[in-house]
Amino acid sequence: MSTDDESMYATPDEEHRRLLEETGYDADLGMEMARDAQKVSAGDLSEVEFYRRYHDRILEEFDVDDREVDLPDPDEVDSGDVNAIDRIEGAFEGIGETLRGVDGDESESRRSVMKKGAAAAALGLGGLGSAGATTGGDDGAAGAGGGDDGEGTRWGMTINLNNCDGCLACMVACDQEHNLSEGANWMYVFAFEDEGQGEQENFLPRTCQHCTDSPCTKVCPVGARHTREEDGLVLTDYDICIGCRYCEVSCPYGVNYFQWGEPDVPESEIDDDHQIDDRGRWVGSRPPEGVMGKCTFCVDRQDGQMGEEKVGTTACEEACTMDAIHFGDLNDPESPPNQHLEEYRSGQENDLEEFPNRKEHTVSTFKLMEERGTEPNVQFIGNEPSPHAEQVEGPVAYEDMGITDNRKEVLDRGADGGEEA
Amino acid sequence: MSVDVTGVDRETLVRPIQTFTKRYLAALAVAFGLIGVWLFFYVQQLQHGLIVTNLADWGSGGGVPWGLYIGAFIWWVGIAHGGIILSAAVRLLGMDTYQPVARLAELLTIAALTCAGVFILIHVGRPDRLVTSVLPAWPTRVQWSPLMWDVTVITAYFVLTATYLALTIRYDVHRLRDRLPNVLEPVYRVITVGYTEKEDQVVERMVWWIAFAIIIMAPLLLHGGVIPWLFSLLPSMAGWHGGVQGPSFLSIALTSAVSGIIIISAAFRYAYGWDELIPDTVFQGLAKWLGFFSLIFLWLQLQQVITGIFAAPTTLQHATEVKIATPLYWVAIGLVALAMLYAFATSLRPELYDIRVLVGMSVAVLFGTLAEKVLFVVEGLQHAHFDLYAGVPGAYIPSPVEISAVLGTVGIVVLFFLVVSKVIPVVELHAIEDHEEVDA
Ligand code: SF4
Ligand code: SF4
Repeated sequence: MSTDDESMYATPDEEHRRLLEETGYDADLGMEMARDAQKVSAGDLSEVEFYRRYHDRILEEFDVDDREVDLPDPDEVDSGDVNAIDRIEGAFEGIGETLRGVDGDESESRRSVMKKGAAAAALGLGGLGSAGATTGGDDGAAGAGGGDDGEGTRWGMTINLNNCDGCLACMVACDQEHNLSEGANWMYVFAFEDEGQGEQENFLPRTCQHCTDSPCTKVCPVGARHTREEDGLVLTDYDICIGCRYCEVSCPYGVNYFQWGEPDVPESEIDDDHQIDDRGRWVGSRPPEGVMGKCTFCVDRQDGQMGEEKVGTTACEEACTMDAIHFGDLNDPESPPNQHLEEYRSGQENDLEEFPNRKEHTVSTFKLMEERGTEPNVQFIGNEPSPHAEQVEGPVAYEDMGITDNRKEVLDRGADGGEEA
Repeated sequence: MSVDVTGVDRETLVRPIQTFTKRYLAALAVAFGLIGVWLFFYVQQLQHGLIVTNLADWGSGGGVPWGLYIGAFIWWVGIAHGGIILSAAVRLLGMDTYQPVARLAELLTIAALTCAGVFILIHVGRPDRLVTSVLPAWPTRVQWSPLMWDVTVITAYFVLTATYLALTIRYDVHRLRDRLPNVLEPVYRVITVGYTEKEDQVVERMVWWIAFAIIIMAPLLLHGGVIPWLFSLLPSMAGWHGGVQGPSFLSIALTSAVSGIIIISAAFRYAYGWDELIPDTVFQGLAKWLGFFSLIFLWLQLQQVITGIFAAPTTLQHATEVKIATPLYWVAIGLVALAMLYAFATSLRPELYDIRVLVGMSVAVLFGTLAEKVLFVVEGLQHAHFDLYAGVPGAYIPSPVEISAVLGTVGIVVLFFLVVSKVIPVVELHAIEDHEEVDA
């Protein structure tokens, strides 16, 4: 992993303590629990034991009682009881929620929500809960990373170019979901013609490739562009980014869109749920002025902030009626991107009896410019555009869908050109 | 080859400090005017954001995200690096001929680095976060981000140069104190705090070592290292890649710096009648260096063009073809080539030498190197390896806001020299008196 996900303002311990103190809850309890939670992740301490240790003090501190979460009595729990472990996990998630929602006030500022989110993360509660949820009980959530080691979650896509008909529905959906400014096409669909393929049009929907070895995270001077340890998402911390645009310059795919002027949609119109991720960092929805933005793989959905049923989906995938976009955990063989590839491969005729020298499948797949060494997490089914491919007008014009193709036209209208970029 | 300027007296040396002319006021007005023009435009950027520039996103966005600001940043850093390298070489190799302009070169370094800093400040989208985001990130990011390497090395280098200057200035101020204005007494007291003549020997050795460090660092780290690495390490753009960028950047830095020193030295000579203090031999020598560095500059450009068009990979070939089809590129190359020819011609036929022509050539060279740097950045961004986008190559012509910043920084350099020359001697005492003489 090229980036360090930890806070860089202080040692992690100091930072957590500061956050905990700001929440107004018992910081010592928090620190102790955070340490033990790490032991649990590392497998040095059982969840049941962890639960026993803190049961009473948590009740005292957070007023979480049996009416809100169903806490089993610690003395009755025995470590062999699988259901008890489930219930305990549930209970901890409940506490995490409670902590996040303390004051439960709608008008709460984004910052205070962030602090609580971070405090919950420091407590190790979110981590413990999601370790169970996303890795199917595997331990090691803390160090799983978004790497290619096959452990933990690694969000990615399989995009089937043979299914795409260039309708641009995904672009529109993305634009609306993330409140993007005109011309900031986080999802972009190419129509192109290639040498040797006649007049036939091909399509290529392009998101951020969420590269495992991403140049953009390497070059960022302040660590704002980073890879999220828990699931490999490449995100921009809008609170830290200084807007140097080095990530944009270093990305081989041209997927970054800087916020040159005031955003079209003001922050007051965007819910915190869309903006703040489960670590309490501001990484979702469109960026504020002077800061870098790009496709986030709908981080708000992946964190369950738009409902459990949206976890593992993206806005573009949902909008695609042609079954071209498949989003999911690449480390999970059963996930939609892996499944689709599997099914598509076996669906193609391949007469191995008559042609015994053939490979097992005949389907062409590629990753964009793999030779750049970025290890993209988006793979395509279909033909890769050659260096001689040229973008052409597609069957549906961008304007007809209310999308601006060339953002420079918007920017050239200037700050007061009626519309701001 | 040393020239003897030791006949010049101390009065001449402190002339800028002791006079106050209308011409000085006029120069001051020009400096403030240039800075004012820039501030007028810059206020718009503060109000509306970077949208007032002509920058845009590359990719579907049809623009380039880095432009004149970054080009000018490299240009100023180049002038700064070149300036201090030349001054260090003078000290290290004992090239006494250039002693009268050594301090001007060091001061130019400080001024140019300041301008480079200004360009970073106005380039970023959130200048308000430069301290709060960069400082805490430094320990974890410095091993990764070339931009962080740059910030680190440039800061280190600023400190080195300032130390270097401070050490040598103490010596002069102490000895010329009786000729310096009393109103500035507090300043001089700070400059010479704790000074005793016993430190001279130690300081001389320190200065030698600092000069040595600068010469070693120059190709490895400074303009032959971290600055080109900002570009040449990226996997995205065809025209930026390759090891030739280091030497190429360094050659441009040295060419620009000699030009800058020629212009500033000539300005002081003209303004204060310093024909004896900075004699023609100094300029003739500088002209030879200008010719030599221009030659290296042109040679490295040739390397890039030839390797870029003869059986090069598709994207690099395309980038190079576009580069050599750009008229501005040839203007830049032409100006540097012209300066080179003039410089070599004057050394063959001294009667061709005219200080006004030399200054004109220097201005032309600075224009050429700025143009080359901006083209390097912009055209680099126009030729991504992934060029399926109809919006690639993106379009870019700097906006008035951006152009005004170049004028503003020139104003800052002029203002800097006007102010500094009223406080400390801009030519060091050693230029006119040998050590023994000074202390006699
Ligand atoms: S596609 Fe570009 S922005 Fe996205 S992770 Fe890769 S390098 Fe970074
Ligand atoms: S624009 Fe922001 S995210 Fe991108 S490299 Fe610069 S500071 Fe990092």
